[in-house]
Amino acid sequence: MPNIMINGAALEAAEGATILEAARAEGIRIPTLCHFAGREAVASCRVCVVEVEGLDQPVSACATCVREGMVVTTDTPRVVAYRKMALELILADHGLDSTSYCFSCVKNGACELQDLCREYGVTGSPFEVTHKREPVRDSNPFLTYDPNLCIRCQRCVGACNEAARNHTLVAAKRGVRTTIEAPFGEDWRATTCESCGNCAQACPTGALTEKRRTAYRSWETERVRTTCPHCGVGCQLDLVVKNGRIVDAEAADGPSNNGLLCVKGRSASFDFVDAPDRLTTPLVRNAATGELEPAGWDEALDVVARRFTELRDEYGGESLAAFACSRATNEDIYLFQKMARTALQTNNVDCCARV
Amino acid sequence: MAERFARRVRAVPPGMCPLAFELALLQVAAAQTCGKCVPCRDGLPQLVTLLEHVVACEADETDVACMRALAEMVRDTSDCAIGYEAATALLDGLETFADEHASHVTEGCCQEGVGQTVPCETLCPAHVDVPGYIACVAAGDYAGAVNVVRKDNPFPTACAFVCEHPCEARCRRTLIDAPVNIRGIKRYAVDQAPADTVAPPPRNMDTARTVAIIGGGPSGLTCAYFLALMGHRVTVFEAREQLGGMLRYGIPAYRFPRERLDEDVRGIMEAGTITVRCGVEIDARELRDIADTFHAVYVAVGAQAGKALRIPGVEAAGVMSAVELLGAIGDGAYPDFTGKRVVVVGGGNVAMDCARTAVRAGADEVSVAYRRRREDMTALPAEVESAVAEGVELITLEAPVRIEVDEEGHCAALVTQPQMIGAVRGGRPAPVAADKPERRIPADAVLIAVGQDVGAGPFEEFGMKTTWGRFDADQHLRAEGFEHVFVGGDCQTGPSTVIRAIAAGKVAARNIDEYLGYHHKLAYEVEVPEAQPNDRTPKGRVELGDRPARERRRDFKDVEVGMSREEVEQECGRCLRCDHFGCGVLEGGREQYA
Amino acid sequence: MLGSGAMTNSIEDVTRHADVIMLVGSNPEEAHPVIGMQLRAAVERGCRLIVVDPRDIGLAAQADIHLKLRPGTNVAFANGMVNYLIQNELYDEGFVRERTEGFEILAATVRDCTPSWVEDVCGIDRRDLVQAAKMYAAADAAAIVYCLGVTEHSTGTDGVMALSNIAMITGNLGKPGGGVNPLRGQNNVQGACDMGAGPDDLPGYQKVADPETLRRFEKAWGAELPRERGLKATECFPAMQEGRIKGLFLFGEDPVRTDPDTGHVIRALEALEFLVVDDLFLTETAKYADVVLPGRSYAEKEGTFTNTERRVQRVRKAVDGPAGARLDTELFTEVMNRMGYAQPQLSAVEVMEEIAAVTPSYGGVSHARLDGAEVAGRGLQWPCPTESHPGTPILHMGEFALGLGAFSTPEYQPSAELPDAEYPLMLTTGRILYQYNARAMTGRTEGLDEIANRSFIEINAHDAEALGVADGDRVRVSSRRGSIESTARVSDKTNPGETWMPFHFQDGNSNWLTNPALDRVSKAPEYKVCAVRVEKAEG
Repeated sequence: MPNIMINGAALEAAEGATILEAARAEGIRIPTLCHFAGREAVASCRVCVVEVEGLDQPVSACATCVREGMVVTTDTPRVVAYRKMALELILADHGLDSTSYCFSCVKNGACELQDLCREYGVTGSPFEVTHKREPVRDSNPFLTYDPNLCIRCQRCVGACNEAARNHTLVAAKRGVRTTIEAPFGEDWRATTCESCGNCAQACPTGALTEKRRTAYRSWETERVRTTCPHCGVGCQLDLVVKNGRIVDAEAADGPSNNGLLCVKGRSASFDFVDAPDRLTTPLVRNAATGELEPAGWDEALDVVARRFTELRDEYGGESLAAFACSRATNEDIYLFQKMARTALQTNNVDCCARV
Repeated sequence: MAERFARRVRAVPPGMCPLAFELALLQVAAAQTCGKCVPCRDGLPQLVTLLEHVVACEADETDVACMRALAEMVRDTSDCAIGYEAATALLDGLETFADEHASHVTEGCCQEGVGQTVPCETLCPAHVDVPGYIACVAAGDYAGAVNVVRKDNPFPTACAFVCEHPCEARCRRTLIDAPVNIRGIKRYAVDQAPADTVAPPPRNMDTARTVAIIGGGPSGLTCAYFLALMGHRVTVFEAREQLGGMLRYGIPAYRFPRERLDEDVRGIMEAGTITVRCGVEIDARELRDIADTFHAVYVAVGAQAGKALRIPGVEAAGVMSAVELLGAIGDGAYPDFTGKRVVVVGGGNVAMDCARTAVRAGADEVSVAYRRRREDMTALPAEVESAVAEGVELITLEAPVRIEVDEEGHCAALVTQPQMIGAVRGGRPAPVAADKPERRIPADAVLIAVGQDVGAGPFEEFGMKTTWGRFDADQHLRAEGFEHVFVGGDCQTGPSTVIRAIAAGKVAARNIDEYLGYHHKLAYEVEVPEAQPNDRTPKGRVELGDRPARERRRDFKDVEVGMSREEVEQECGRCLRCDHFGCGVLEGGREQYA
Repeated sequence: MLGSGAMTNSIEDVTRHADVIMLVGSNPEEAHPVIGMQLRAAVERGCRLIVVDPRDIGLAAQADIHLKLRPGTNVAFANGMVNYLIQNELYDEGFVRERTEGFEILAATVRDCTPSWVEDVCGIDRRDLVQAAKMYAAADAAAIVYCLGVTEHSTGTDGVMALSNIAMITGNLGKPGGGVNPLRGQNNVQGACDMGAGPDDLPGYQKVADPETLRRFEKAWGAELPRERGLKATECFPAMQEGRIKGLFLFGEDPVRTDPDTGHVIRALEALEFLVVDDLFLTETAKYADVVLPGRSYAEKEGTFTNTERRVQRVRKAVDGPAGARLDTELFTEVMNRMGYAQPQLSAVEVMEEIAAVTPSYGGVSHARLDGAEVAGRGLQWPCPTESHPGTPILHMGEFALGLGAFSTPEYQPSAELPDAEYPLMLTTGRILYQYNARAMTGRTEGLDEIANRSFIEINAHDAEALGVADGDRVRVSSRRGSIESTARVSDKTNPGETWMPFHFQDGNSNWLTNPALDRVSKAPEYKVCAVRVEKAEG
C-alpha cells in the first residue's frame, strides 16, 4: 500500500492503483475525457496530466501507477495550461459548427467536453477548427454515430471490446484520420452489433448517442436507480424520468452488471410502462354478453372475493390455484402466496419458474 | 518506400530554407501519429498549420508564441516519441534557426544566403567544380579533369587518395540509388594523368610582392600555389626535411604513396615563384624578422603535437605518440615491431593508421583500445574495417587507466577500466565507468593516438592569440591583432581534414591578394563538356576495392585498387550534372570562387 | 443434492476466478446478455470454456471444446464424465471422503457409462468427452454454469443432479471460481421461489410438509393454513381440465403463450369456473379471464428483486403510472380482507419486514439496509439471517446446507417424445437476445421489433435440402399437438435431425408444438425436446 501525497495531502493508495484511481478514492478530482473504468488506460486525451515530483514532464494520471513516496500535484499552472490546451485541441477537432451545434446537440448539458471547457474557460479554439461534414450513421434503431462530433477518445471502443467484449466497434487506426467504425450504418443488420448501447453510455460527447436522447434534455430529468425487469442477472440501471414519464435508461454500476446493460435493459425496459394499451380499469366478464367490460374496483374485487370464497367453501381450497409472476417484486409475491394460503386456503401456489 | 524516404532525407539539398525542412519533418511526424493521443494526433497537424504560416511569412509574433506554447505542450504531454520528439525537434529548430524564424516573421522572407546550390560543389570546402571534372573524365580528358580540380585545389592526387569526400554526402544521385563515387573518379583521373605531367594554368605577371608561408603542409602549399599563380613571390618555411605536412608525416604510405604526393608537390612548384626552405624551425625572433621582411605571412603550421595521455606509466619505454611514429616514417625511419604486442589507444583515423602501420612493421598482435563503441569511432568505417581485415583487434569500451612498467622501465601492459555506453552528450553517447574489474592488455609497445595539438608556443611569443590552443583569426583568416599575418588550416581549426586545410589555404591566398591590393583573376582554360540528359536508371555505385588483406598487410604499398575505364564510365554516367540541370544554371546557383 | 435451486457462487466470482467454466444448456449471450459479456471477458482473460449444447451458440465459437450433444442426453453426458473421472482417479478423494456420502453407489450407477456409450447416446466424439473431463478435473477451480437447457426436460432434475455430481466428486463446491450455477431465467424467478411461490415451500424453502414450520407460520399469520400437498403449475392445467381445479388467480403470467402445448392450456383455462388475471395488459390469457385487474409495473412501485446469484436488490418507484391501475399488494390485501382474512395494508417496506421476520435466509434484509451506505448499492446475497450479516456470496463453504453432500444417482432416460417416421425432427425452443418471453414488455419497444419481430425455425442444411426448403422459405411445422407457420433459417447451427425455435413470437408460437411432459420432481415441462414435422408451406 504505497504512501503518496496528492496536492499536499498524504494518503495511502491501493497497490497497483493509478494516480487517477488513488485520487478518486480520496475524492480528489482529476478531469479526464478518455478514461474508461475497467479497461487498460488509453491515455489519449491528456486532460488528466499531473505533475510528479522528480519528473521533467507531466504524466497522465490515468496511465501512471503510484509508487511509494510519490508526490503528485494536480493543479500547477503548467498542467492547467496544458489541460486547457488539450481541450482547445480537442475542441478544434470536435468542431463548433458541424452537423450539430452545441445548442442543438442531444448531449447539450450532459456533454463532458462541454462541461470541462466551461470549467477551464475554453470558449473556442485558438487553433484551426475543422469543418467536418461526414455522413451520420443512424440506421440502427437505437444508436447514432456522428463522426463529426467524435473526439476519438476510444471510450466506445473500450466499452465494446473490453467491457461488452463484443468486438464489433473498433477504431480504424488511420493516424490523423483515425475514426471510429461504429456499426450503425446502412449495413447495421449485417454486423455482430448487439445494440447494447454501452458505447453510447461511454461517449463523452454527442458523437455516439442513444436516439432516445432526442426526447429530453438532461436538466429536465431525474434518475431513479432500480433493477432491470427482464432476465435474472439483476443489472442495476437508472430510469431517466421527465415530467412523470420514463424517457431513457442508463446502466448503473451494480455488482452483477459492472456498469453494463444489454439491449433489452437499456432500450426495452420502460416503453411498456406507459404503453397506450396499459389496462387502466378492472374488467369483469358480463355473464349476459360474455364480454369483458370495464368495472369499478370495488365491484371487481367483490366479484373476485365472492367467487373464490364460493369455490373454496364449496370445493375446498384445493380447488383453487394461484400462479405468481416471476417478474414481480418479492413483496408482491410474498403477499400473493400469503393470500393464496390464508384466504384461498390452497397450496396450489406456483410461479412461472419452470416456463 | 522507407528506403526511398531515407534517401530523400539524406540528399536534402544544401541551402534550402531550414524552416521548410522543419515543416516537412513535422508533416512526416504528423503522418506517423497512430491517432491515439490528442497532443500528437491533433497537436502536430495544428503545429504544421502554424509553421506553414511562418514558412509562408504570414505569421506574426503571436502565432510564433502560440506555436511555441503548443509545441511545449505536445513535447511534455505526448505519450510516445512520435509526438514528443517531433515537438522537441520543432523547439530545437526555434533555437537553432532563431534568426531564420525572425527573418520570416519580421522581414517577410528567408535570410540572405538561403538558396540552393549544386550539392557536391557546395559541400566541398574548396568548392571544387565536381560535375566539371567528372564530365572531363567521362570524355577522357584527364588532364582537363586535373586542372578543373586544380582551379580550386592544387592537391588532386592527395584528394583522390585520402579525401573524406564531403562532396558525396548529399549527392543528388542519392535520390535515385546512391551517391556518385566522386573520389574514385578523381583517382582514375590522376592515375591516367599524374598531376606533375599536367601543366598548371599560366601564371600572372610578377607582382614583386613577397609572402612567407610558415608550414609546408596542404594548407600552406595551397596558399603558395594560388599566390604564385597570382604572380606573388612565395617562400615556404618547413620545419621538417620534406614538404607535405601531415600528408607525408601523418598519413601512412599504404594509404597515400609518397611518390604520388610528390606528383602534387611538383605540380604546385610549377605554379610560379616558390622558394622552399625545409628543415627550418622558426622561433619567435625569426618570426618577427619574417613579418618585417615579407609583405604578408600565412601561418599554417598544422597540429603536429601528439596529445598526451595523462595516466601513470606513459613515460615508460615503448610508449610513443602516433605523431612521433608516423612522423619518423615520413622521413623513412620505419619501426620494427617484429614479435611484439602493440596496443594503440584511440578511435580516430590516426589510431587506425598507427595500428595498420604496426601490422606492417611486423607486430605479432595489434589491438586498438577505445573507450567508446566501434560505431562511435571517428575513424572512417572503411578504415576500421580495413584494420580489422588486416588482423587488428578492436577492444572497445575500455578506458586506459595506467601503463604497467617492468623492472627495466619498459611498458608491459595497458590496464583499462571497462566502460558502459551512456547518455548522449554533445551529440555522442558518452562512456561511463562500468561496474566490472580492470582489464590488463599485455603490450610491448603502446601507441597514443588521442588527438593532436598545435605547437603554438613561438607564435604566441610572437604575439598571436590562441583559444584552446588554436590561433584566433577573423573571417578573412587574418590573425587577431595583425594586418598582414594570416592563419589557417589545422592550427586555426584544430585537427581536421586535408580538404579543409586546402580550402583555408585557398581562402588565405585570396585574402592576402586582396590585402596586397589586388583582385587577381586566375586563368582557367578547361572546356567542360556539355551535359548529356540524365541517365535515370537506378544502378549500383562502383566502390574501390582493396588489395587482399593478407597480402597488403606485409608491405607499405598502396592498398586501394582504382576503377577500370569501364567502371569509371558507368560511374561518370551516374552524375546528374547538377551544374546544368536544376538550380546549377541559375544566377547564384553555384558555390564557387571566381 | 445441494438443496435449493440457486447459484452457489456469484457471477463475478465465476467469471473472474474460475479456471474452467463448463456451460451446459445455456446461451447466456442471448438469455443473460450481461453475464454473456462477462463470460466473454473470462474466456479472453484465459479461462477455459467447455460448451455443452446441441446448438452452435455464440460462445461455442470461443469454447475450447464444444460438446454438441443430442438434446435430452445431458444425464448420459454427465454420468459419462463422472464415470471417466472415477475410473481414471481424477476426482478429489479427500473432498469425497470428508464432505460427501454415497460415493460407492454413485460409482456403481455410472459404471457402464463409458466414453463409447456416451458417444452412442449423445452423438459426440468420445475423445472430446475425455478431453473435457480432463480439462475440468485439472482446473484449480472449475465452475458449472447451466440453464434451462438442463432443466426443461422430462429428466431435468436428473440432469441437475448429474451435473452436481461432477462438481462434488472434484471438490468444486464451496470455493471461489467453482460451484454449480443455474442461471435463473426471469428477473425475479429466484425471488418468487424464495418467497414461497411453490406448492411445497413456504418463504425461504421452509416446508409445508413440516408440521412445526406450518405451526410457526399459522402463528405468524394468525390463520389456519392448508395442509394438503399442492400442485405445481404445470400439474394444475391437467387438473383444470379434469375439473379438480375450478378457480385460478393468475398474477402476471401468460400461459397461453408461454406454456407448452397451447391448445391444452386454452382447454384448461376454458374449463375453469373462475379465472382472475392481474396484469398490465390484456394478454392472450387475460382474454379468458372472468375478472381482469390492472396492476402496477416495476417502475411504479417500491420493492426488491432477487437475482440469479441470490442477490436481493432494490426496485424503486420512478413514475406513478396510469391512473386506474393499483398496486398489486394493495389488491391482494383487498381480496384477503374481502375473503375474511384480516390483512392490514402494508407498504413494501413493511412487507419486507414481515418477510424478514418469517424467513430466516432473508432475516437481515430490509429496504433501509439495502438503501444504506453499508450495502452501498450492492444488494444482499442470501442467506442473510441477521441485520449484521453481510450476506453469502458463496454457498457450501465448509459444509453443505444439508450436512454431508449426498450423491444422487440419476440414470439416463430418453426424452418423453422422440422423432419417429411421422414426426422425424427434434424441436428445441429457447430465447433470443432481442426479445423476452411473451414480449409483453419488449414487444412494446419498436426498435426491437425492427431487429427481430418474427417467428423462425433453425433447420440443419442437410435436413433442409432433403425437405426442399431454402433459407427464408415459409414452412409449416407440426407436432402431435398443433401446427404453425414459420420462416426457415437454414444453417449448421443445429445437428442434422434437430431444429430450434424461439418462443417469443405469436405469428408462429412454438408452444403450439411443445410437449407438456413434465419432470417428475420439478414438474418443469420438456420445452427442449419434442418431435415435429417440417414442410414447405403452401402458397
